[in-house]
Amino acid sequence: MRLLLALTGLALLGYGAVLAWDFATSRTVNAVQGAAWFIGGPLVHDGLVAPVVGLAGLGLSRVLPRPWRAPVVAGLVVTGVLTLIGIPLLWRPFGVVTNPGLHDRDYGTGLAIALGVVWAGVLLAGLAQQYRSRLALGQDQSAS
Amino acid sequence: MTERSDAASGPPESSVTADTDKNDHEGRVVHRASLREPGSGTSAAAGPPESSLAAGTDKNGRRGGVVHRFLPSPDSRLGRFIRRVQPDEANFRSPAHHEKVTARLGLWLGVAFLLCFLTGLLSHLIQHPPAWFGWPARPANLYRITQGIHVISGVAAVPLLFAKLWSVYPKLFSRPVIRSLPHALERLSILVLAGAAFFELTTGIFNVAQNYPWAFYFPAAHYAVAWIAFGSVVLHVAVKLPIIRRALATPVDPARRSFLRTGFLATGAAVVATAGVTVPLLRDVSPLSWRSDRGPQGLPVNRTANAARVTADPAWRLEIVTRTGITRLSRTQLADLPQRTADLPIACVEGWSQSATWTGVPIADLLALIGAPPGSEVRVTSLERRGAYRVSTLPGSHTRDPDTLLALRLNGETLALDHGFPARIIAPSRPGVLQTKWVHRLEVL
Repeated sequence: MRLLLALTGLALLGYGAVLAWDFATSRTVNAVQGAAWFIGGPLVHDGLVAPVVGLAGLGLSRVLPRPWRAPVVAGLVVTGVLTLIGIPLLWRPFGVVTNPGLHDRDYGTGLAIALGVVWAGVLLAGLAQQYRSRLALGQDQSAS
Repeated sequence: MTERSDAASGPPESSVTADTDKNDHEGRVVHRASLREPGSGTSAAAGPPESSLAAGTDKNGRRGGVVHRFLPSPDSRLGRFIRRVQPDEANFRSPAHHEKVTARLGLWLGVAFLLCFLTGLLSHLIQHPPAWFGWPARPANLYRITQGIHVISGVAAVPLLFAKLWSVYPKLFSRPVIRSLPHALERLSILVLAGAAFFELTTGIFNVAQNYPWAFYFPAAHYAVAWIAFGSVVLHVAVKLPIIRRALATPVDPARRSFLRTGFLATGAAVVATAGVTVPLLRDVSPLSWRSDRGPQGLPVNRTANAARVTADPAWRLEIVTRTGITRLSRTQLADLPQRTADLPIACVEGWSQSATWTGVPIADLLALIGAPPGSEVRVTSLERRGAYRVSTLPGSHTRDPDTLLALRLNGETLALDHGFPARIIAPSRPGVLQTKWVHRLEVL
């Protein structure tokens, strides 16, 4: 089962390598830019995105009170993901001339509204968590 | 540090140990590994922990190997600096870094990649059909659904990929860099997997926005790398199968569940934010849908008449070519033939789709008119002189379908020039790029 799976994977990978070779050898720009976009993903992720996200997580875990950690982190993650997916719509120096009915909406405002909804959710979840942790600590607090 | 944290930086203990003697690199790992909180889950899927540590201690004192010769000496200032800023696998204490999390994210990421690969392959086959391949005209929404799944599963894979990579990120810093030949191959295959996955998701998301920060031809690149990406996924699953089985069989504790929940929440948010391009219910909800209602006659245009350099020509005649001769029909003559109205979607390879009401002459009627056998293949040529999609071929399964039209009207009005005036092809369950506009010639094959 495992061997079969591995051989299937290698066969698919091999076919992809043949296609990629044909693609890369047909034009110089294909080879250069194709390779740059291929290796760029892991490089930017491992060298920039992951360290920044990790350090931000570390910082937040020290700054934020415990009940607010999960909601704020979730809010930041959703904000980051939506912004990332929105980049090709928001940043278009390489975009084609706008086609009527395609990529012609106000994406900045749309994203801002969506993020407003997300952070309203964060606020509600944070308050709920805070309330719950107060209940849990209620005994201690009334005693003090 | 009493708190578990998402540390990617060197916490205090690494700076304390950084200046100790040169032979203790692996020893330090052992020492620190023994210090970490029980259950704080590092070195997730690295195989049994004893083996990696044992491999380290075996080599202790030799510090040799090919890799080390290219690295600065650990005693040099640069070497010490690198050791101080570079995190160690054991520094990562977030509950995210555990095989139980990795396997669950991987499962969903695998599902997303499988769906994306299969639907993408299908779209490729419909556009470049080999002899053995056939694609039905019914249900009319089939291509709309498969291509919608392609784009949505691709969007869903973005947060899943980030979450999964974060889950295994500490393994990037596992030392020694290379333990053995299989280990080197595995690391290389994971680099290929990550490169191909990022390539597919990035180019795909830029392509749906028709935004091209590169000069290569997108479909060829996206297609070739799709095989590399999916092949790497299958190989990766084969390599990790025992770990996946073990990890999925054990329940997830609350801290890890919270990380997973955040990942799935972000995935859901990404899907809802974009799925309105094809799901009518979400049309007014998705803020990042690249389709709008601003197209002429309420339908988006992917290539304008201006871009295709086509103008309205009163002398236009439709040419129907058979082996025996050419029949020419004016637009008035076409409009005098029995008309048929059908609700059919335009479903773009870029994932957006929208239904519209089309009126025109069924291709089957035109074939009957000139005496061609029903179900003949028809090659359609556009008035546009250049462009990758000026010619398309309607297979017999489509020319036989009564709803495959040479459309003259759209949503009750004369077809707009941008939608293919004087006449265009509209057929059920086809990629939008094959719904040829500004039709000039039909050749019965």
